[in-house]
Amino acid sequence: MTRNIPDTDAVLSDMKTKQLKYEALVKAYHADVFRYAVWLIKDRAIAEDVVQETFLRAWKSLDSLQDDAAAKAWLITILRRENARRFERKAFDLVDIDDVSIADQKQEQGTVAERRDLRVAIEKLSEEYREPLVLQVMMGFSGDEIAQQLGLNKNTVMTRLFRARSQLKDLMTTGVSTEVKASG
Amino acid sequence: MDELTFRRTLYADPRTRQTDVLNAIQDDTHKRRFWEELQAFENEIEAALDIDVPDNLSQKLLLKQSIKIETEARAKQPWYWAMAATIALAAVLSFALITPTTSSLTFDAITHVAHASTEVSKYGPLDMQTVNAKLANYNGTMSDDLGEILSANFCYLDHIKSLHLIIKGETGLLSLFVLPEEGTAPVENSFSNHEYNGLSFLLESTRVIVVGEDESELQSFSQRAREYLSFSA
Repeated sequence: MTRNIPDTDAVLSDMKTKQLKYEALVKAYHADVFRYAVWLIKDRAIAEDVVQETFLRAWKSLDSLQDDAAAKAWLITILRRENARRFERKAFDLVDIDDVSIADQKQEQGTVAERRDLRVAIEKLSEEYREPLVLQVMMGFSGDEIAQQLGLNKNTVMTRLFRARSQLKDLMTTGVSTEVKASG
Repeated sequence: MDELTFRRTLYADPRTRQTDVLNAIQDDTHKRRFWEELQAFENEIEAALDIDVPDNLSQKLLLKQSIKIETEARAKQPWYWAMAATIALAAVLSFALITPTTSSLTFDAITHVAHASTEVSKYGPLDMQTVNAKLANYNGTMSDDLGEILSANFCYLDHIKSLHLIIKGETGLLSLFVLPEEGTAPVENSFSNHEYNGLSFLLESTRVIVVGEDESELQSFSQRAREYLSFSA
């Protein structure tokens, strides 16, 4: 068999570089992206599927990722888009995921009841408060980054973060059975 | 910093490193206590938000990627189309077999397959002499340039050793396969799928298959191939 070694070598090297970049991306961010997905989607199995789709999409457009500092935000943007696509695809085949509790799915190995209560309280927050909170606390995003992800201005984001924690404080004081309503 | 602004700022971002906030907690024990309480609360929120991540998730993601790429390469049926991408696989496999490498061979190979058409465009053109040297294996010669030939490699189409030329066309890459008619399964004179068109014809006892995206370009390319290629029996 005839080979063209210099060409093959160059191609192999290019592909190795891309593969290494991808593997590094997976290793560095799969856990954070998965955790965020579970909070966003509230179902571990579906979250895992969406994370799979997210990373496949990331692989296909890996060349567009030039700045490693932006990698996490880039992945979250893809994840949110993939999640939205899921709703388009399955418009007629949806379970009411709001009824699925993340707290129930979390293994309770020695977890104190307080943490479980706080978890339930976070779930009870309206989405507009919970989303920026999860992006800030879990993903470590700045106010600007959250604003960009959610298409809001930064002041709105900071107000919602303030209200999210205020409501959590109240809930933890008065008990998580109290229903929380969005108030602005 | 007034109490209200202080509290609002910290509630919005308990981990803030804002100078005025940090100064405030230095100067005011009451504010410092509030800050400490909020740090503790933030720790609890962090813990409450934590989600168990499946141990093997990263491996699953990498596996899924490799399978997807492989499936996409295979989806391009029938075999002569698949080979247009798979040619690179044979080259990579043989290269990798003689070259010790620490990374996953299969990963490189299938990754390469999926991107063969884009990668190959970086190379070439090859001169006529090189191409003719390879055509000589089929008793063939090329009398005039078929276009910018980016690669000429041998590959196996359905177990038959063939020569695969990749030519830069006006609208995309064109592939031309040369293989002996003897022992080759019947091939339709023209074929297509949603992406590619193909034409096949005999020159003496040699089968020529051309594959490309644009049908009209493929027709004229096929015509040039009939004129410029000749094979002795």
